[in-house]
Amino acid sequence: MTHISGGRFRRGSKALRRASALVALALALGVLGLGYSALVPAGNTAAADSVDADTIAHGKDLYDRSCISCHGANLQGVDGKGPSLIGAGQANTYFQLATGRMPAKANTAEMPRSIPFFSDEKDIDAIAAYVQSIGGGAQLPGSFDISNADVAKGAELYRLNCASCHNFTGKGGALSQGKFAPPLDQATNAEMYAAMLAGPENMPTFSEAQLTPSEKLDIIKYVRASTDSVSPGGYDLGGFGPAPEGLIAFLVGMGVIVSITLWSGSRS
Amino acid sequence: MSSHKTIAVPTSDEMAGMTQEELARLGARLDGVELVEYGPRFEPGSPAEKRAERQVAKWFFLAALFALAFVVIFIVWPAGYEDPFSSRQWIYALFTPLLGITLGAAILCLGLGVMSIARRIAPHEVAVQQRHVGGSAEHDQKTVGAELMDTLDKTGLKTRRGMLKTSLLLAGGGIATAAVVGPIGGLIKNPWAKGDESDLWVTPWRPAADGTKVRMTFQDGSFVRPEDLAVGSMATVFPGVPGGATASDAAVMLFRLRPNEPIMIRNGQDGFEYGNYYAYSKICTHVGCPVSLYEDQTGRVLCPCHQSQFDVHNGAKPVFGPATRPLPQLPIDVDDEGYFFATSDFIEPVGPGFWESTQGSKPWGSHPKGENS
Repeated sequence: MTHISGGRFRRGSKALRRASALVALALALGVLGLGYSALVPAGNTAAADSVDADTIAHGKDLYDRSCISCHGANLQGVDGKGPSLIGAGQANTYFQLATGRMPAKANTAEMPRSIPFFSDEKDIDAIAAYVQSIGGGAQLPGSFDISNADVAKGAELYRLNCASCHNFTGKGGALSQGKFAPPLDQATNAEMYAAMLAGPENMPTFSEAQLTPSEKLDIIKYVRASTDSVSPGGYDLGGFGPAPEGLIAFLVGMGVIVSITLWSGSRS
Repeated sequence: MSSHKTIAVPTSDEMAGMTQEELARLGARLDGVELVEYGPRFEPGSPAEKRAERQVAKWFFLAALFALAFVVIFIVWPAGYEDPFSSRQWIYALFTPLLGITLGAAILCLGLGVMSIARRIAPHEVAVQQRHVGGSAEHDQKTVGAELMDTLDKTGLKTRRGMLKTSLLLAGGGIATAAVVGPIGGLIKNPWAKGDESDLWVTPWRPAADGTKVRMTFQDGSFVRPEDLAVGSMATVFPGVPGGATASDAAVMLFRLRPNEPIMIRNGQDGFEYGNYYAYSKICTHVGCPVSLYEDQTGRVLCPCHQSQFDVHNGAKPVFGPATRPLPQLPIDVDDEGYFFATSDFIEPVGPGFWESTQGSKPWGSHPKGENS
């Protein structure tokens, strides 16, 4: 995305200069594109370059059996049933299938995580490749190695970008009208990356420019550190902080002490 | 009233001749308690006594053992921090619970031991105490009242000693003022001292005196370009001036809405957006929490404090919750170098309302984007 349509042309000569620069750029790009297509043999979309045709055919086969009734034969969506998948891309498709949210069991406010319908990773990759080849969209990188990621920086980015919905320890939280931001403890690194990149359902997207790939890995490492931590106090009471801990200590602790006192008093 | 008048208090000589048990019974009797049954629980040296002693001692031994365990764990346990990616994390995580369990158990066993002494070893007794009746005797009430009032009269506070009374009043008044100056003292400062430039009217987005417009930055200080945001995304951005990222009234949400989404523009705010990019204050108009839960499909932003919801597809109008005024919109554009900047400050004060605020003083109205209001 280099140029934004709909800019306002208010400042006379400057707008004119900008417009002429746009025309020149468009011409240059056009020449370059024509030259490229003349030199390179006809191929599929860029997204499909790394995927062979058999995989896409397999993906289409699975799509036609499991997804077509709600998303339509050409991914255009079915009114009242399912949204269009044009532009959903490989990342979003991977997220929805790998977390078992799709195929949906019912049309609810929020699709809950469940056991994936496609248990074979190859099937998921095939459908994702098919959706990518038709509609394009965001694609996942190959590896999600967080061993060199910076957990402290990830925590800072998480608090700014994610914590308002997913809670500062990744426990999730409520949204409007029955929707909710899911807890992150079960999400794999690839699923978290896909969610940030594609913004499934009501989650906003975080492009690779807004959060760079290394920043995304920092965030994933923070979530891992937060959700995989053994609670040093024993049971963590939902990880909501000192208020519930103090309340439980007071109510349960006092209750136990009073009960023991009453019991021992009644026995003597 | 009390029973001690009916019992003769023995003289020193009489008490010198009494046994310890007699003295104990006398003490109880003087307090109005009659020991109906009182005496040792066991034959000294009997097997039953030895068994009871063992049962009590068991608790004290356990208390000592737990206390020892606490000391040993405190000194030798490898309590250094291990991060969640280490296989030894559980060893670190066990340190605090183990300290709590051992010390708690030691104190619990000590307590159970003391209770056990009272129940198994201490003398067996059945005591009857007379219940007291009514308030104090009439002569007690009269004499105590007279004592207090007489002291007051003889001190002269009621009739004389003006300086003492004045200074006492001053002391009380001074301390009372000190107690309320915290909440009330803030009212002394005039928030309008700077006139139209007062802090409540302007934010760091206001162009500088020489007309330089303020660019938008991310939290790390880098300038924001349109291509940094994907379709359907939201970023928290700050004014690119010193202290901009920490100013309480400056945080702004920059949205890139979907191009096919029908958008309503609030009347009088046409052209505040740049293409599909819209910038709204992040400070809730209810009590000033950061509004940041963005639902990308419904176009709502939610405030986490009191669940106010604003419709970004319709001029950030409040659609749910306690907030009653829309989020102020920041007029934005892109400069020659391709970076976002604010064409002016907000056209109304941001954040929660105050008496003089002009926020929301216009009646609400919006119209489809591209049409005239």
